[in-house]
Amino acid sequence: MSDLATLDKAPLTNEKLEKLAAEIYRVPLELQREIEQFLYFEASLLDDWRFRDWLELFAEDVSYVLMTNTQSQTRDRRRGVHPPLTYIFNEDKYQLERRVARLETGMAWAEEPPSRTRHLVANLRVLSYDGEVVETASNYHIHRASKQTDIYSFVGTRRDKLRRVGSTWQIFERKMELDQFVLVAPNICILF
Amino acid sequence: MDDLLHVRSLVNSREGTVKPAIYTDPDIYRLELERIFARSWLFLAHESMIPKAGDFFTTYMGEDAILVVRQKDGSVDAYLNQCRHRGMRVCHADGGNTRAFTCPYHGWSYGLDGALNSVPLEKEAYRDQLDKSKWGLTRVTRVATYKGLIFGNWDATAPDLEDYMGDMKWYLDGFLDRRAGGTEVLGGVHKWTIDCNWKFAAEQFCSDQYHAPYTHASAIQVLQPTTANKADGSPLGEGQTAKPVWADALGGVQFSGNGHGSAFFFTGKPDANVWVGGQVSAYFREHYPEAVERLGEVRAKRLAGHNTMFPTLSWLNGTQTLRVWHPRGPDKIEVWAFCLGDKEMPDDVKDALVKSHARSFGPAGFLEQDDSENWVEVQKVLKGHIARKTDFCMQMGRGFEERRTDGIPGLTNYTFAETAARGFYQHWADMMSAENWGEIEALAKASEKELTNV
Ligand code: FES
Ligand SMILES: [Fe+2]
Repeated sequence: MSDLATLDKAPLTNEKLEKLAAEIYRVPLELQREIEQFLYFEASLLDDWRFRDWLELFAEDVSYVLMTNTQSQTRDRRRGVHPPLTYIFNEDKYQLERRVARLETGMAWAEEPPSRTRHLVANLRVLSYDGEVVETASNYHIHRASKQTDIYSFVGTRRDKLRRVGSTWQIFERKMELDQFVLVAPNICILF
Repeated sequence: MDDLLHVRSLVNSREGTVKPAIYTDPDIYRLELERIFARSWLFLAHESMIPKAGDFFTTYMGEDAILVVRQKDGSVDAYLNQCRHRGMRVCHADGGNTRAFTCPYHGWSYGLDGALNSVPLEKEAYRDQLDKSKWGLTRVTRVATYKGLIFGNWDATAPDLEDYMGDMKWYLDGFLDRRAGGTEVLGGVHKWTIDCNWKFAAEQFCSDQYHAPYTHASAIQVLQPTTANKADGSPLGEGQTAKPVWADALGGVQFSGNGHGSAFFFTGKPDANVWVGGQVSAYFREHYPEAVERLGEVRAKRLAGHNTMFPTLSWLNGTQTLRVWHPRGPDKIEVWAFCLGDKEMPDDVKDALVKSHARSFGPAGFLEQDDSENWVEVQKVLKGHIARKTDFCMQMGRGFEERRTDGIPGLTNYTFAETAARGFYQHWADMMSAENWGEIEALAKASEKELTNV
């Protein structure tokens, strides 16, 4: 009890913390919840093999990018020197659609029989909202069970930009990183 | 000859059979590291990746960790990435620029030239008795460069790089030499693991045109420019072929020599395949006349097809992917894939090529996905005792080998053949059962004669 009293009286002199606080709370809770539900729904469409519906959640001008990761020493990074990255995904709407079409052929052998996936979305932060566009940061964990005993795990971070469309949203930019330096999988044949 | 593990009984290139134990046996794998990987010319890096003094790239020769370093005088050297004190990995970055390589364990520090320059507490702990000149990094015995590609070889008695390549040089030139100025690596390196023996990947790129129509059926179907695929029926990019290369091909050729192999189709026009970005294929058309001048018509037109330089360097024309299959045990590889473009390409074409390369043959590539899946599943099936003893059929085009008179060098066959596979495994068996390069070359000569009768 006395603790609370002391807290109340404590002067708020921690300026660094105050500055960080401004980074933490950026948008109304209601919006946070709306975006969260949208991203959970998007993940469920992939996991339920509703790929055509999934495509609807992406804008016609979407840029969908997943980059590789490389290792360099801290002293090199400080000098801005590090081995170049490259693309794992760099898709526009049409290419995403072709990836879906590929899965539909029944001859995309890496996905025959189709694997089961769970796209987990976590640590969602809504970074900004200007009345039209929402910027988000989140982490993903994709669990993939394939063939008889193959289990693959893909973890990383992504930054999405969503645009208000009618009563819902469309993603028009997805930038992802994958936290593997040597990808521990024979291929990536699912959508992230 | 010293066929320690009787591998010659597992490969019958004349009949066209192999016993799949060659993909699973740990003893065979250990011998491969010694007799194949420590005696062959292995790709290390492209010169463009380490342009300045002190630039380095870390890679592997077989399972040996290697540091490739640009020297102060502009030359390139390579060292075992292993500290001479207790064997710690000296450098942990994928690449970078440095003045010294300092071991994280006790702090021994090596120069760009591999020399051991400083040792902590040298006076107090070693009483100034350590002969530092004796403890430099282990230098890769031979390093040689061919048109931008840097190779290393541990064997001082191996033939020179260009002799080792033999007729494969002609095919490689078609990839590296389309324009003045040569090639460079664009973007970063794709690295991923596949749970399969290295020979599945290497042999497929050496010899297996045959898998493409079926393995890649899904990609072919959805990337074809049809109204079903795209409302206006236009291709993915301007200037691409309407059909996969084999659909309109005017015949084709497969090559085998020194364990290397290559195949492609003859096309009417310099057409890149359907999975090459439109801007990229437009570029190939635009610079076709220069390529003809440098390479002649056959190679200038060749913008598709597969290649392996024995043992583990493979590339594909047109999609411009170059990769190494680093072995990681009998049932695992690491693929390192590089995107190669002409230095003279405009920046926007380079950018389009990097993207096109990832979309076709990166780990999530439309084409790449299917290949790895096959090898993984074959390897799983080989867990079976009977499966390991059951012959594989490698007889396609047996007896139809020829030597052409139109300037296409080497032993050849129709593009759908397994001539290069038979050559690949025979060369493998020769290297595995020979004690030195003198023997390898003698065996290779005898094998070629027996294999071909032409
Ligand atoms: S192992 Fe490198 S300094 Fe000891
Ligand atoms: Fe393939």
